[in-house]
Amino acid sequence: MKRLKFAKSKCIGCQLCAQVCSAMHEGEYIPSKARINIESYYDKGQELKYKDSFCILCGICKKQCPVNAISLEEHITVDHDLCIGCGVCERACPKKVVRIRDEKSYICDTCNGDPACVKICPQNALTFE
Amino acid sequence: MTMLGYQNKVLRVDLTKKGAKTEPLRMDWAEKYIGSKGLAIKYMYEELKPGIDPLSPENKLFLTTGPMTGTPIPCSGKLSIAAKSPATGTMNDCSIGGHSALQIKYAGYDMIILEGALKEPGYLLIEDGNVQFKDAKVLWGRGSHETEMLLAEKHGHDHSILSIGPAGENLVPMACINSDYYRQAGRGGIGAVMGSKNLKAIVIKGTGGVKIPDIVESTKKITQILREDTLQEDNTFIYDFGTTAFLEACSDGGILPRKNFSDVTDENWTKYNGEVLLEKKVGKRGCGSCGLGCGNFLKFGDAIVEGPEYESIAVAGPNAGIDDPEAIVKFNQVADDMGLDTISAGDTINFAMEMTEKGVHDFGIRFGDKEKQIEYLKLMAKREGVGADLALGVRKLAEKYGGEDYALHVKGLEYPQYEPRGSWGMSLAYAVSDRGACHMRAYAPNEEVFAASIPPYTAEGKGEMVYNLAVFNAIKFSLCICDFWATISFERMAELMTLVTGKEWTEQDMKDVGERVIHIARAFNQREGFDRKDDTIPKRLINEALQSGPAAGQKIPQEAFDDMLDQYYAVLGWDKNGIIPEDILCRL
Repeated sequence: MKRLKFAKSKCIGCQLCAQVCSAMHEGEYIPSKARINIESYYDKGQELKYKDSFCILCGICKKQCPVNAISLEEHITVDHDLCIGCGVCERACPKKVVRIRDEKSYICDTCNGDPACVKICPQNALTFE
Repeated sequence: MTMLGYQNKVLRVDLTKKGAKTEPLRMDWAEKYIGSKGLAIKYMYEELKPGIDPLSPENKLFLTTGPMTGTPIPCSGKLSIAAKSPATGTMNDCSIGGHSALQIKYAGYDMIILEGALKEPGYLLIEDGNVQFKDAKVLWGRGSHETEMLLAEKHGHDHSILSIGPAGENLVPMACINSDYYRQAGRGGIGAVMGSKNLKAIVIKGTGGVKIPDIVESTKKITQILREDTLQEDNTFIYDFGTTAFLEACSDGGILPRKNFSDVTDENWTKYNGEVLLEKKVGKRGCGSCGLGCGNFLKFGDAIVEGPEYESIAVAGPNAGIDDPEAIVKFNQVADDMGLDTISAGDTINFAMEMTEKGVHDFGIRFGDKEKQIEYLKLMAKREGVGADLALGVRKLAEKYGGEDYALHVKGLEYPQYEPRGSWGMSLAYAVSDRGACHMRAYAPNEEVFAASIPPYTAEGKGEMVYNLAVFNAIKFSLCICDFWATISFERMAELMTLVTGKEWTEQDMKDVGERVIHIARAFNQREGFDRKDDTIPKRLINEALQSGPAAGQKIPQEAFDDMLDQYYAVLGWDKNGIIPEDILCRL
């Protein structure tokens, strides 16, 4: 199964990944709703730090989901007819990448195995392998 | 009328009354000037009364994005900050990197206009539609780095911060605005305008989005353009070297100045080239929506900086007679923290060094005094001791103490670090730049030195050459595209504009907007009384020949300079005195 991988040494903190993710899934460039959140910042101006919130297909959300709304085959799928928006998956996610909006859970689906974030990542910090 | 790509909304903040309201963006102006640089100047032209004191509450700050801001169009993350300049009295628009432009756009605005002045030191907190006026008494007097650190701790690293250092607070006419610690809106005293409003910082976070037509297909197209155009070798050298790449090229080309432009470097300046500084690199960083990542985060002993950029290295190094990369990095760091433009502050110190050496006036500093150079930055920012004089800048220092023959500035803005005697077109570019001596308005060394496609030591064809370069940069900066996407064409710009707005734009439209932006900037300055007499070349370039490098023996005859000015005015349809005729003015 292919997974997203992130090499922070290559990341320039441009956030193009979150922009294209939200374009593909939400119909606008809106990083606050993206299912990936990778950014860098200067901590106290002294150290370059990275936030690397992206789905690693660990399946913890699937295991914890009380209503079996989440499936994992090559990528995550959330069945919004079953999802009750309880937020168990959001709290369980080790990468803090699950978004709950309007009582539904939104999780990276790797653009059905062809992730837009990887395609745009200009320095190839994100890969899918 | 609305247009996709835009938020169609302006946030207008009254600092005097502590109120904020939104209004529609003037889309009729956006159609003519697009965004960022051009749109900011149009607003400035329409809203600022002629003759106002740049440091009075009547001046305004225009924080301006463009239709591409917040989209993944590569290199589109820059913000234009504009106001009337206290250094020159001209209009002044600065371009700053980092992430603030994106946050403004995601907060729902194309533009933020700051009017009036706070009665007490404060900062603005803007979170989407919520605007709060916060007390900044505990921040006042602190360096820009510490200010950003404290505000980031309080509000979170996901907020963008624009701040000033002590230089801005003390209204030093070479004060800058900082963001992301190491990015600056540097020139023309834009930080002093913010200081005059008692505004220490702007903290901003947006959680909204930007819409463009057919977003899925457009995003695929943008990805393809990034891969095929932006990420080609002619651009990606900036990732490996940053602007340090220009050091060796300028040294070899004979346009890297030394000792206050008394000559150029007569040796291969390899000590400061990419390799030495980049050995100290500990990380890479770009702006929001970047693709190239020019920022080299490096640590040199105690000195930490993202950069240093070509301009800072040249002004604090060879042009100061200083031969120590660590001292240069420290200079850069201290200037940023104090909130001083490295170019103008460095040039002023270098001018004082030469005045002292020549016995014109003793400023207590000579070429090569690297410890004092850094100490003087702090004094300038606080206007203490000798710093009170140096904070005047090169023009006023020359008026007070002499040294006119080697005072390098145009309209009171100090010279950037490209020596025009080895690239004559650059003297014209500095002279006619809309905000005084700026290297970002038309960049002649590409044609005259690096590519060597146009002979450098002649006036012939330079009016048209500088015009073409100026049109290119004027539209590029009005789209908010970064300088480092060097291969972008007018055709590509039109393609991207069509992509984000859904309205058809042509290559000719791009050229027309570019020229219109040059006119409107000139129109602002003309209204303030500027004309040909102000489009000047420093005496040193006319009277003293270079002694070293490939341009040894070169100086620029006054007649050649006058010829270049005539040519430039003629291409734009301005009269012999550089005045825009009525028929052009009424179309702006």
